[in-house]
Amino acid sequence: MKIILKLIKFGKILNSRPSGREAVLRAKQIINGSKNVEEIVVDFGKVSIVTPSYLDEFISGIKKYYSKNKITMTGYRDNIVIEDTLKALDIV
Amino acid sequence: MDLNRLNIASNFNKIAFGNTIDLGNVASLDPWSMITMCLLLAKRANKDDKKFILPKDLNALCFLKEMCFDNFLKEIGFDKEAKKLSKIEIPKLSDEKVLQIEHYEYQSEFEAKLAYFIEMFKNFGLNQSDAYRATSLIGELGNNVFDHNLGNWPTNIRGCFITGQNYSKEKKIEITVGDPGIGFWGSLKNAFPELNNDVEAIIKGLGGNTGRMGEKRGNGLKLIQDWTINKFSGCLMIHSKKGLVIVDKDGIKNDEVFEILGTMVQFVIYYD
Repeated sequence: MKIILKLIKFGKILNSRPSGREAVLRAKQIINGSKNVEEIVVDFGKVSIVTPSYLDEFISGIKKYYSKNKITMTGYRDNIVIEDTLKALDIV
Repeated sequence: MDLNRLNIASNFNKIAFGNTIDLGNVASLDPWSMITMCLLLAKRANKDDKKFILPKDLNALCFLKEMCFDNFLKEIGFDKEAKKLSKIEIPKLSDEKVLQIEHYEYQSEFEAKLAYFIEMFKNFGLNQSDAYRATSLIGELGNNVFDHNLGNWPTNIRGCFITGQNYSKEKKIEITVGDPGIGFWGSLKNAFPELNNDVEAIIKGLGGNTGRMGEKRGNGLKLIQDWTINKFSGCLMIHSKKGLVIVDKDGIKNDEVFEILGTMVQFVIYYD
């Protein structure tokens, strides 16, 4: 099954490394509480800002814990700044 | 004397000697020179013979008051000067918009302010995307301050100082972020022992390298540089300890200048 992590649930402005690390711990609870997860979708819809520090910490953390799962990004195409940040970090 | 980012190095000996900072003959300051003052004063804050001479010029005093410099002086222990400045009644100086000087001791305080910066940039004239982008720049600069100085602040004054100004006629914004921390070289020297000076350390940092050994980091400053130059047609200035590096579309210029405590970074951006 596919699980969607809605980043807006973590805030409209996602900034620091400590916040990114904390979000990974919460995401683990969400993912581990679901059965047969094959794909993890990170949804940026309605988020205003994600800084490189937060993004690096969050995506690296998810990839570290779920290296066997498919991880995809969505909901960023209407926010050029988030799209540019994702591209700069070679995430999309 | 109008003190700004272009002339502060050549005028340094006229304003700083020993533990005295003398702005007596200063008529105006820009964000870069304001943050320079913050770091020069922070370095001297615990000295018994510290002295800060306020400008004689009334407009300069009014500007400092408008920037809430009296609050900053009080915070770092220049009580007498803070009191003197706080008593000044200020008229509305101009229609130029400013970001009053702020000091965030903790990362949580700084993060809480980011929503304000989005609105501030919109009020300055940026569209929503550019306001998000400029706020991301501030966010990332602040992150660097706290990440690289955690557990390592050289004095009891910690955190970051931010100020800025919108020059509406030129459609130009200057934002300066400073910190009384360990500086680029202090942060990078263990990971890169071949570095010989502050300028080399700044250039290493701009290349996407980090001093946090064993961690994959360093994208933030690279992105700040890229967006400032390529998305805003602006320039990035970094002064860390004795090193000064300026990056714009024409490349990198560097120099060795007077020493400050920690680091200050300014991005200058242009908007339509």
